[in-house]
Amino acid sequence: MKRKLISIMLTAVMMTSVLVGCGAKEEAAAPAADAPAATESAPAAEEAAPAAAEEAAAEPVTLTWAIWDEATTQYWGDIKAAYEAANPNVTIEMVDLGSQDYMTVLATELSGSGSDFDVVTIKDVPGYATLVSKNTLEPLDAYISEAGIDLAQYGGVDKQITIDGSLYELPFRNDFWVVFYNKDLFDAKGVPYPTNDMTFEEYDALARQVTDTTFGSQIYGTHYHTWRSAVQLFGVLDGKHSILDGTYDYFKPYYEMVLGQEDDQVCRNYADLSAEGLHYSAAFSGGDVAMMNQGSWFISTLMTNIASGEYDASLCGNWGLVKYPHAEGVEAGSTLGTITGLSVVAASDVKDAAFDFVEWVSGEEGAKVMASSGNFPALMTDDIAGMISGLEGFPTDAESKEALKVSNLYLEVPYAENVAEINNVLDTYHKSIMNREVSIDEGIASMNEEVGKILGQ
Amino acid sequence: MDEKRVALLKSLESKSADLLVQIQKEDNMKKKQKLIAEQQHVQRQVVKVRSNQKISKDTKKDLVAYSFIAPNFIGFAVFTLVPIVFAFILAFMNWDGSNEITLVGFDNFKKLFTDTFFIAALKNTIIYVIGTVPLTMVASLALAIVLNQKVIARGFFRTVSFFPYVASLVAITAVWSMIFHPSKGPVNYLLLTLFKVPQDQLPKWFSGTLVLFTLILFSVWKYMGYYMVIYLAGLQGISAELYEAAGLDGANTWQKFKYITWPQLRTTTFFVVVMLTINCFKVYDIAVMLAGGGDGKLSTSATVLVYYIYQNAFNYWDLGYSSAIAMVLFVLVLVVTMIQFKYEKNLD
Repeated sequence: MKRKLISIMLTAVMMTSVLVGCGAKEEAAAPAADAPAATESAPAAEEAAPAAAEEAAAEPVTLTWAIWDEATTQYWGDIKAAYEAANPNVTIEMVDLGSQDYMTVLATELSGSGSDFDVVTIKDVPGYATLVSKNTLEPLDAYISEAGIDLAQYGGVDKQITIDGSLYELPFRNDFWVVFYNKDLFDAKGVPYPTNDMTFEEYDALARQVTDTTFGSQIYGTHYHTWRSAVQLFGVLDGKHSILDGTYDYFKPYYEMVLGQEDDQVCRNYADLSAEGLHYSAAFSGGDVAMMNQGSWFISTLMTNIASGEYDASLCGNWGLVKYPHAEGVEAGSTLGTITGLSVVAASDVKDAAFDFVEWVSGEEGAKVMASSGNFPALMTDDIAGMISGLEGFPTDAESKEALKVSNLYLEVPYAENVAEINNVLDTYHKSIMNREVSIDEGIASMNEEVGKILGQ
Repeated sequence: MDEKRVALLKSLESKSADLLVQIQKEDNMKKKQKLIAEQQHVQRQVVKVRSNQKISKDTKKDLVAYSFIAPNFIGFAVFTLVPIVFAFILAFMNWDGSNEITLVGFDNFKKLFTDTFFIAALKNTIIYVIGTVPLTMVASLALAIVLNQKVIARGFFRTVSFFPYVASLVAITAVWSMIFHPSKGPVNYLLLTLFKVPQDQLPKWFSGTLVLFTLILFSVWKYMGYYMVIYLAGLQGISAELYEAAGLDGANTWQKFKYITWPQLRTTTFFVVVMLTINCFKVYDIAVMLAGGGDGKLSTSATVLVYYIYQNAFNYWDLGYSSAIAMVLFVLVLVVTMIQFKYEKNLD
């Protein structure tokens, strides 16, 4: 009898859990489907929204904005201050989710019904794909056409993140990869500086020239961070390949080059880097790395930290940058890019105000705020490039200024439905190859097979 | 007394009498016990009907007891039981946490058989458990026996052995990555200088096939202090008279261990093995911290089940598939634990 009672109780608990689970989900689906209806029901705020902006000015609006690393990243605060100054009725509330697991935390926050966020920053494309497939982001097409935004100003990257004809984010930051180099090390060896037009052969030869393997005073010709983008993605610069292809044999020459450099101690070896967890900024600022391929985000890091004395200026103060090396027959200035975008949350109840903020940040005014702290806005004009290269601490040589001109930009990770999984497969086997657990051919064969499975689903 | 109750009372009483007769006839002890329980139950019902109570005394007692466990049980139900049951249901569903849940039947389980990463994770987890459990058990028992003797600075050495267990995982994994650093670590330096291992053949402790070995070594070192304490408690529970008697009979140290210590510690060993097995199947943090490199991602040589569950749930948002893997882990732990219980019972 007692047993029966317990089992009845357990069954009851199970049943309620199932019901509760379903109930919550239906609620989640409802606001997405009936978005217009929901907006109608919120009387005061919504009557003002369709009307002109000046009318909305009377209504105080608070936008909650998801960001990362507020303390170490200057532009979040700059954007908030500048936008609030231009729109006195709006208060921006920033919520810092940390950079390490930003997209995972964000996806968790936006799961289920409702959300505290109105605007969220999109850090990478796999995370963007996840959020869109979870129906948590608002399609922006209607807003974009209403506001008359010309997407051509983003130089085509918008096409790489369009999903079934709709755009769910507007890019406000657009970083691209360049090669940083330490002029002092080249001078000491009497080797000429790298140039804006290098083939991979020239780059490899130059790295070997400047390398010094003497114990105790090692100079590494190059440095590759542990990310797969730093090695594999040399392969996509010819514009004929993409990581969504499903066959990755084009990675091979670049793995051969980098592993060959490791063998000859031209660069630090991957197993060491991985055991130490050495950050690329520590590697470059240590003053024993002659060239390092890295994203343009490192420019502002270098400038601020050298100015503040955080990095020893005698070790890395005399730096420059050049365009990415390129394969034979490919135009110089072809490089990898990463965009950071802003999206409006589907469950937000102040979507119009939220889009206004997104539009502002990704537009001309936002671009100027970004550029003023040495960051690259998605909306790049000659003026803005000039602003960055004119900043205090930016290398003064003409080559470095010229290096900011990008001819072809390929996203590190373009959009595809299964891009999160493809990304993880490539990461995994990149690790195996670089750790020399498998040969390059075996690693690439595994990539082909596993991604093939994902694409075949 | 109305007629209905009289009739009920009569039928119950005759049932009770029948049962009594059956009990006397029954030889099988187990069946007999069952019958006795049933008879008592009928008897209680008789009392209930006779005294015309709505709730019997026994039920009242039960309710009081339930009310005492309620605070804990409600917490358990909300935060543990419901999610577990939900995960079980999810294993047969397809859900991304936001959109509609759809029923997919056994598809999630079918997918497991062709999934390279799942197979790698399963293999690594099993190797890790097989490596860690016996080694930790032996190491902690040996430590406990040594530190149960009257050695100098016993308290100090006990603390030293317990230290890895209480130290922060982040801190000790950082130390281990330095000690086993593939090119600058002291371990490889010793191999290079003392054992003349050529530089290009120095082991890479955190990659390839060696990474599991490093994980096992680390886990044994970290866990042995904790299980040592449990063994110490067990050792202190053994009566000194047994050893005295054995000494008088001329038993040597090994015989004392074999015929007194080991059998007396059987229940302790059982507890240690079960807890260790369960803990080892759940390995995640140690693997990510030691083998994850800079980005905390595990390659196929180091991936473990819990890591793959996390990855599927929170990177791919394939909650159904991730629940299916969790079920595999659950069944695995359940089966192993049941075998252990069975074995323990057979020894009685």
